[in-house]
Amino acid sequence: MSETAVIASATPAVIALDRIVQEYPRPEGGVNRVVDDLSLRFTGPSINMLLGPSGCGKSTLLYMMGGVRPQNTNMPTSGTITIDGVPCNDAHDDAVMVFQRYANRPDLNVYDNVAFPFRLALWRDRIPSAERHGMVMHMLEAVGLADKAKLLPSQLSGGQNQRIALARSLMLRPRILLMDEPFGALDAQTREEMQKLLVRLYEEHPCLIVFVTHDVTEALLLGDRVVVLSTQPARIADDFAIATPKPRDSGWLRMPEAAALEQRILSRLHQAAGKGNVRVTV
Amino acid sequence: MSQGWNPYATLSGGLRRQLGIIGVAVVLLVWFALSASGWISANKLPSPFAVMKALAYLTWSEGKSLLLDATLWSVGRVAAAGVLVVLIGVPLGILMGASPKLNALLSPLIDPFRSAPVVALLPILVMWLGIGETMKVTFLFIGAVVYLVPMVRDAIQAVPQSYWTGARDLGASPWECIRHAVVPIAMPRIADAIIVSVSVMWTYITVAEYVNAKVGLGQLIQNARRFSAMDQVFAGIIVIMALALLTYQSMRWAKRRLYPWETQT
Repeated sequence: MSETAVIASATPAVIALDRIVQEYPRPEGGVNRVVDDLSLRFTGPSINMLLGPSGCGKSTLLYMMGGVRPQNTNMPTSGTITIDGVPCNDAHDDAVMVFQRYANRPDLNVYDNVAFPFRLALWRDRIPSAERHGMVMHMLEAVGLADKAKLLPSQLSGGQNQRIALARSLMLRPRILLMDEPFGALDAQTREEMQKLLVRLYEEHPCLIVFVTHDVTEALLLGDRVVVLSTQPARIADDFAIATPKPRDSGWLRMPEAAALEQRILSRLHQAAGKGNVRVTV
Repeated sequence: MSQGWNPYATLSGGLRRQLGIIGVAVVLLVWFALSASGWISANKLPSPFAVMKALAYLTWSEGKSLLLDATLWSVGRVAAAGVLVVLIGVPLGILMGASPKLNALLSPLIDPFRSAPVVALLPILVMWLGIGETMKVTFLFIGAVVYLVPMVRDAIQAVPQSYWTGARDLGASPWECIRHAVVPIAMPRIADAIIVSVSVMWTYITVAEYVNAKVGLGQLIQNARRFSAMDQVFAGIIVIMALALLTYQSMRWAKRRLYPWETQT
């Protein structure tokens, strides 16, 4: 836990989770505690990986950090979340999410899907109309979809659809980008391309990224910091920084440094007696 | 016949048309045989030829077309009621789908009518609205709107929540979410609901024109029945069916043109 303290004390926290407890009622009665007394601080800009087994409550944590919270659920059960020191109880204007299931409008072409935020009053007020076209085109270039601007999402692959979602989110230059297993549904090769793309986009526009994954390799390739969560309930099993410059490739993954980190993550998860599964792909 | 019992097999357009024609031809043949055999008297079952002759008579006789007049009036009534149904039913269904509270408030008032005999309302409408056009259009409107509103509501509720959540996360107000992330996704299903509702109106047209219609396809059938002109009754029914089919097919075509992305998702 000492590394956390070092990272957190350097600059004031952008996102601070303080003693978060999350419980859901069980259908058969009683409560299911998914997050137990968890405190975390994030400072930007940096890529922070929340790594844990499936169903460990890491997405729940992500939604609390300025994302959209599910209805009919008191979230969190106890504890506080602050963004820039201000308590955050719902979707935050500075935080933008990228979901595993990209919600691209099937009736709009690629260009209009990326430009979707400009249909909303919030972004129309923030961004003058003269700048909008340039922003969309710049993002389409950046994610490699400029030549597909007129196509419908159904004419593109899953990876290309996720590129649309990524372009839409990053176009807004958010201070906080919350990513909920965004590449989880993609095949291995596409996932690797998307990871490289994310690193490139991040370097162009550094922001505070909190990235939820159950893929150890992904955490090692992308993370400036990796927070390992145990499952049922989620507690912090490990929290460390990776200083190796990016992009990191599969060659680096085979180096002793990376192999040691992987071993460390796996042993921490075993110690925490995680019941779910993490994916190890090297 | 290995392809006979396979719900996922596709038929070529030619084979599909052939089979359709065979079906119609068989019915015509049975009809022809029954009326020719003399088992059923001509004033109960007119022969196909008699019906065709009646159709020709109605289309043009004594310098005027009874059929054209009747058709135009019936189409006018369905169209007037159809515009009203869409203008009122679609927004109402969207609001009910978008607001569980509004739905809880209104669905007990609307849902029972889907299975209630709307026809039984006709005497009440006559008492309230008289026997003129207002009553007829209102009757068609009620008959269709009780189908349309619940279907539009269901179309809204069937939109995956991820669209709503995604827009909400980008800072959309609830109303912006509904307008930009829910309704556009529901539009093909809403269009289906409109198509079904307008088709329902064609089944009610004869009832609507039962009372004091000076002219209309329902009146034409009613009038012919009174004079035991079964050939004209059959002709009238065939015309209504043809119009209903034409309406249905053209609306389906329009829907496919408007929402070409629907089948691709």
